[in-house]
Amino acid sequence: MKNNLEQLAYEWITAEADKTDIESAFYCRTRDIFEARSGRMFNELVKNEKFGSNSYVIMAAVGEIGNNSFDHNIGSWSDVPGTFFGYEFEKGELLIVMADRGQGILKTLKKVKPELKNDAEALKTAFTEKISGRAPENRGNGLKFVKKNVEEEKMHLTFLSGNAQAELNERMVITEKDKNLRGCLVILKVK
Amino acid sequence: MIIELKKFGDILVSRPAGREAYLAMSAYLTRDVDKNEEIIIDFSGVKVLAPSWADEVITKVAEEFKNVELINAENQSVQATLKTLREYSDLKI
Repeated sequence: MKNNLEQLAYEWITAEADKTDIESAFYCRTRDIFEARSGRMFNELVKNEKFGSNSYVIMAAVGEIGNNSFDHNIGSWSDVPGTFFGYEFEKGELLIVMADRGQGILKTLKKVKPELKNDAEALKTAFTEKISGRAPENRGNGLKFVKKNVEEEKMHLTFLSGNAQAELNERMVITEKDKNLRGCLVILKVK
Repeated sequence: MIIELKKFGDILVSRPAGREAYLAMSAYLTRDVDKNEEIIIDFSGVKVLAPSWADEVITKVAEEFKNVELINAENQSVQATLKTLREYSDLKI
């Protein structure tokens, strides 16, 4: 982790449950809190000369990722419910960090695609296939939408879940890491 | 009839909010409307639209009514969302 905000999110997601900082200003216990804070970010983005024109798709992507945490983990959080959500403007770059201590992509998708073998396969499936962890509900287009807009708007997305990491910009590269991360950690950078 | 989406908010992103919007729409706006009547969905005033919200509303309205038209849909996130729904949710309009 390079940035202080990324480090805070990493610590929030990896800490023992009783040591997780639930007093943090970045902690969104419920969806309402996440939506209020992401809405405030959007209002700042719209007024920003550099990011204003991209603010609509950035907010839509953030809404999809953040709401996914609640949609797929409600009733089955590992321990601490809710998400970490933070953003900052630094050196002409917008940095948005989101994290949850939920089931993670593999466990969520394995319910509807039992043949998934590992976290890397699950991440690839989530970003490329029409599939929903909440079948039979007709869902599962959110991360495809995020991927498309990251490509088109020249953003950079890092999505970690389990021991897999997806790096997306104009293409997607999925690698396996040494450490196993519960839930999801997402870093979106816009230059 | 015209459905003005801005009356449901200008940041339309989550599934629960979309589901609530569709239920309210079904109860108060489209309840007695003939399935063959033209339904115009007006996106003017919508700042952010994401696939989760739209899938609960736009996809369902398009399934329920035979003659649906989308207007004032130039917003970047509206365009991107409609493209995703056409590709992944079988939206036909």
